[in-house]
Amino acid sequence: MIGEPLDGPWSFRATDVTKSYNGGKTLANDDISIEVHPGEVFGLLGPNGAGKTTLVKQVIGLLKPTSGSITLGPYDLVDDPDVARQLCSYLPQAQMPIDSFKAQEAIIISGAIRGGPRDQVLRRANEMITALEIEEWRNTLGTKMSGGVRRLVGFIMTTVWPGKVVILDEPTNDVDPLRRRLMWQQIRNLAQDGVAVFLVTHNVMEAEKSVDRLAIIDEGRLVASGTPSSLKTNDRGHVRLQLMLSPGAETPPLPEFVIRDTRAGNNLITVIDESAAATGIAWARDQMVAGTADEYAIGAITLEDVYVRLTGHASAAEFDL
Amino acid sequence: MTTEALVAPGVLPAKRSGLSYWLWSYGAMLRWELTNTRLILPLLVLAQALSGAGLVLGFGLLMPSLPPTIAAYLVTGAAVVSLIMVGTSVGPQLVAQQKIEGSYDYMWSLPVPRSAAAAAWVALNTVIAIPGMLAALLAGALRYHVHFDISPMVIPAVLITLITGTLIGYALSHAIPKPEVTFLVSQVLIFVIFGFAPIAYPAGNLPAWLATVHQYLPFVHMADVVRSSLVSGLVTDVGHSYLVLGIWSLAAAAITALVLRRRK
Repeated sequence: MIGEPLDGPWSFRATDVTKSYNGGKTLANDDISIEVHPGEVFGLLGPNGAGKTTLVKQVIGLLKPTSGSITLGPYDLVDDPDVARQLCSYLPQAQMPIDSFKAQEAIIISGAIRGGPRDQVLRRANEMITALEIEEWRNTLGTKMSGGVRRLVGFIMTTVWPGKVVILDEPTNDVDPLRRRLMWQQIRNLAQDGVAVFLVTHNVMEAEKSVDRLAIIDEGRLVASGTPSSLKTNDRGHVRLQLMLSPGAETPPLPEFVIRDTRAGNNLITVIDESAAATGIAWARDQMVAGTADEYAIGAITLEDVYVRLTGHASAAEFDL
Repeated sequence: MTTEALVAPGVLPAKRSGLSYWLWSYGAMLRWELTNTRLILPLLVLAQALSGAGLVLGFGLLMPSLPPTIAAYLVTGAAVVSLIMVGTSVGPQLVAQQKIEGSYDYMWSLPVPRSAAAAAWVALNTVIAIPGMLAALLAGALRYHVHFDISPMVIPAVLITLITGTLIGYALSHAIPKPEVTFLVSQVLIFVIFGFAPIAYPAGNLPAWLATVHQYLPFVHMADVVRSSLVSGLVTDVGHSYLVLGIWSLAAAAITALVLRRRK
């Protein structure tokens, strides 16, 4: 698919999707429009409760939009939820119900349910089990799998015979760092095979490395969309200065050159102008001498900083530092 | 390019439909359901068999000797209770469990016709229910020497009883959003079926108004069609019972279809 125009006959389009509850008092999705094209990995980012999962459930026909349209190629997915389920594969955020299944069984039966011919499903299952390095759990029952292995099995169940659109809701949850990388490689392979990958996450740092384009939603509204670098243009000329505060320390008074700041756990992340970098470092050192901070780091603006500016929330990843 | 066949550019896959798609989906979902319950299936089957036999033997403790006709009535009644109980009580509890685990949404995002998934569910319930029925009949033959007179009508009778019962439970468990409420409702159903439905005793033993209500409910008719296929001479108007059950099974199927198509 490489080299073909992205906006192909199988593009996925959500247009002006609004989902309201309580007779319009609660807006879970407020006029959201996005497009995901075959061959790309599209990220939908936002804090918990922003309305990401609500949007996804409307795509696969578990919920019905209050207004707006959702189409995939020639099909109207709102009018025809049967075709939506046939053409979209969905990995939900909750763990898969595979307690009684051996890994390989769960994958093979899922491939059959998705309509895949047996020999091809088997071949691809073997490829993915090997690629994700879960060979040793091939014949292990779900009850005996760790959360991470179960997640990887769920991922293969969803993508062993993928639809035109693959929707992954927090796919890397519980997965160890090594296999996360392998999983991202598989997600990239799916896109290269022509699938439109629709990734839902609140882990911004992972998304920055893995998605082609993204949209950020907050409180049901689309607050930004574009490529990771295009979203950073407003912060051109800025750098991030991050302090690891001493456990229990209060946030110190911030100097005037701090453009904005956010705190996640003991992390104090500030955005400052490039020209204030030296002054900023001196201030950070003062904090260490005073015992307020244990260490500091200065670096380029990340998608995380953009995300914090737009949503006012630190993402999950910021707590993992 | 392992998924080439599926996503070959320029080829629009037609929406899948038709009988072969339905049968394929039914087979795949049945494999899913059987594998999904296999850890508890032996236990469920055993519990059903024990309660089927236990019901009959329990009557024996209450009334050590019974006239043959009443014994036949009780024993066939116990068999029917076993059949109904699975669909209206065990099934809904399994669905409620899916909601608690969070796997319910995944199950309903699968690309299979809803009717094929429901049919696989009925088949699973059949596998769980039949041993209970057989155990009740066996216990009846041993304990009361009930003479059975089994006609080929036992197959449609058992099937329509299972399908109607399972679909009623299925519709209920999907229509009720809260799993806690589902548990409660299935407990109430057990209570009603055990105590206040004329399955193991004649409707004449009930207050007149309740007997009238049961003419319109499916339980007594389930008992009548199954009983008439096992023992001769106990039931007269079995055609009427099939008619009522036919209406109930169609209604339950329609409600199930409606509930499953509904999107909040």
